[in-house]
Amino acid sequence: MADRTAFLDVTGAEKSFGAATVLGGVDLGVAGGEFVSLLGPSGCGKTTLLRIVAGLLAADRGRVRLDGEDITGRPPHRRDVGVVFQNYALFPHLTVAENVAFGLKARRRPAGEIGATVKRFLDLVHLADFADRSVRALSGGQQQRVAVARALAVRPKLLLLDEPFSALDRKLRETMQIELRRLLRELGTTSVFVTHDQDEALTMSDRIAVMNRGAIEQLDTPETIYRRPQTAFVLEFVGLSVRLSGKVVAATAGKIEVDTALGRLRAGGNFAPGAAVMLAVRPERIKAGVVGENSVTAALRDAVFQGAKIQLHFEANDRDQLMVETADIPSGIPAPGTMLALGWAVADTLVYAAP
Amino acid sequence: MTKALSPWRDPVALLAAPAVLYLLALYALPLVWLLAKSFSGPAGLTLAPYAEFFADPFNWRVVANTLSIALWVTLVCLLIGYPASFALARAGAALQIAMLVAIILPLSVGVVVKAFAWQIVLRRDGVVSQLLVGLGIWDEPQRLLFTETGLVLGAANIFLPFMILPIYSVVKLIDPRLDEAGATLGATPIYRFLRVTLPLSLPGVVSGVAFVFSMSVSMYVIPSLLIGDRFQTLSTLTGRSFLFMRNEQLGSTTAVILLALAVSIVVGSGRLARRLGGSA
Repeated sequence: MADRTAFLDVTGAEKSFGAATVLGGVDLGVAGGEFVSLLGPSGCGKTTLLRIVAGLLAADRGRVRLDGEDITGRPPHRRDVGVVFQNYALFPHLTVAENVAFGLKARRRPAGEIGATVKRFLDLVHLADFADRSVRALSGGQQQRVAVARALAVRPKLLLLDEPFSALDRKLRETMQIELRRLLRELGTTSVFVTHDQDEALTMSDRIAVMNRGAIEQLDTPETIYRRPQTAFVLEFVGLSVRLSGKVVAATAGKIEVDTALGRLRAGGNFAPGAAVMLAVRPERIKAGVVGENSVTAALRDAVFQGAKIQLHFEANDRDQLMVETADIPSGIPAPGTMLALGWAVADTLVYAAP
Repeated sequence: MTKALSPWRDPVALLAAPAVLYLLALYALPLVWLLAKSFSGPAGLTLAPYAEFFADPFNWRVVANTLSIALWVTLVCLLIGYPASFALARAGAALQIAMLVAIILPLSVGVVVKAFAWQIVLRRDGVVSQLLVGLGIWDEPQRLLFTETGLVLGAANIFLPFMILPIYSVVKLIDPRLDEAGATLGATPIYRFLRVTLPLSLPGVVSGVAFVFSMSVSMYVIPSLLIGDRFQTLSTLTGRSFLFMRNEQLGSTTAVILLALAVSIVVGSGRLARRLGGSA
């Protein structure tokens, strides 16, 4: 964060509902023009954090700064923070164009400017032909685009999106994700996006904040989050992983050797001999039928054909999980029970303290 | 989508038969009789009873009394009931049930009983008078009973649930996120109320107003007990015509005028609200 000037700067945000602590002192910095996702399971506090930034909820403690101003105590209508709600919250008694014009009218912009801006934003979301329709007559995808146009038409300093794709079917969702990302990039809008969908977060974000139990576990680029998850939670929440538990038997200068149920494996890390650890590897980093820096031999339990890739699941004890993702197997999918050598690089081996 | 059967072919329509028969026999037929009576003279169809009615300045006074009391009662119910419906709709589940019980339970007490209770409340030594003197608003105790203010207070209390419940049922369905969306778009609380909440709650206001107005324009027992004979309304005049004066012609004429007033206000307010709601 040192090289970024935080455009949105949340410090020490805390929130409890009764005895339940929903946010336990969260810091979040977002640079101007950046798209940051808050990713986590339901109940992790991501929506609470979003509502605090929008001013729809008051934090028990902590500050929110936007564009150099402290907006902590400011009511939502004086924050310049737009929100796209999960259910879109379109005004049902207004037409598409009236919905988009709402914020501009509330800010008493001149009528000519309102007309031009509404037209421009309806064009941007490809709804120019629907201007005079009732929003109730629109499909889910169209409603979502109205919600985006309405929030952006007032040119907020910051746009917050609360799971805006969750009500759409998968195909439409993917198209909309790409379209929205392109639109926000064109407008240079700083955005914070709440989602529980890792694919969505990986696709759209400049950076992802993975949240768990009211705290941010890791804030990094999608690539780093996936390749170098800092905690076991991030590893498990984002993407699939092979997990092998074991005990450190040797440690020298940032390198350790670990005894697992499938043999001795090596990894980079600082753990004392005797420590219980969990080793992890992303399944596509493992090569089947090849001996690598780390190698195990395991019996194939199941092969799952997924079109572009094939998942191979291997026999393992209860605490471990062993699987490989591979593009294709020229010799054909082996029969269950076949013993296969699995190899991967030490650099791809992640280590965590045993949970 | 299957096409709806005509009511004659759809056996489900038969389920409405008991209600239809009941209303026909006990409501529609007497109404037809009433209409016929008010428009018939010795020489057949005539408007003479109406001309006669409106020729008498006293009757104009009666119509004015009826309308002004009904409008005041409706206004008081609206001013108290509108915010109350929001409090009710936005309250937590347990509190909401308690409040609903508090609103609905008094409906099980008869109007006569409630009107008598208000007689006691509105007396010179009643609680309202004592309270106002105690607060220093009045210098000395005054009688509210048998005044128009007393009548409005009592009637508004009795009809209030019919204002709150329809508004509540509409407000409950307004998504609270709409107000939040308005806020994040830069709209002040007043702007959000005028442009979002108010237009969306208007259908409830219209049905509440229609209920309370039609009930208070035609109320009979409450004015009889709270203001007495010196203040005549169309319904007390209708009652007197039939019961004391034995003048069925006058009684049916006043009844039809009352009906016409009530229907036109109810229909008119609905039209108005739709126009307001559509252009908001």
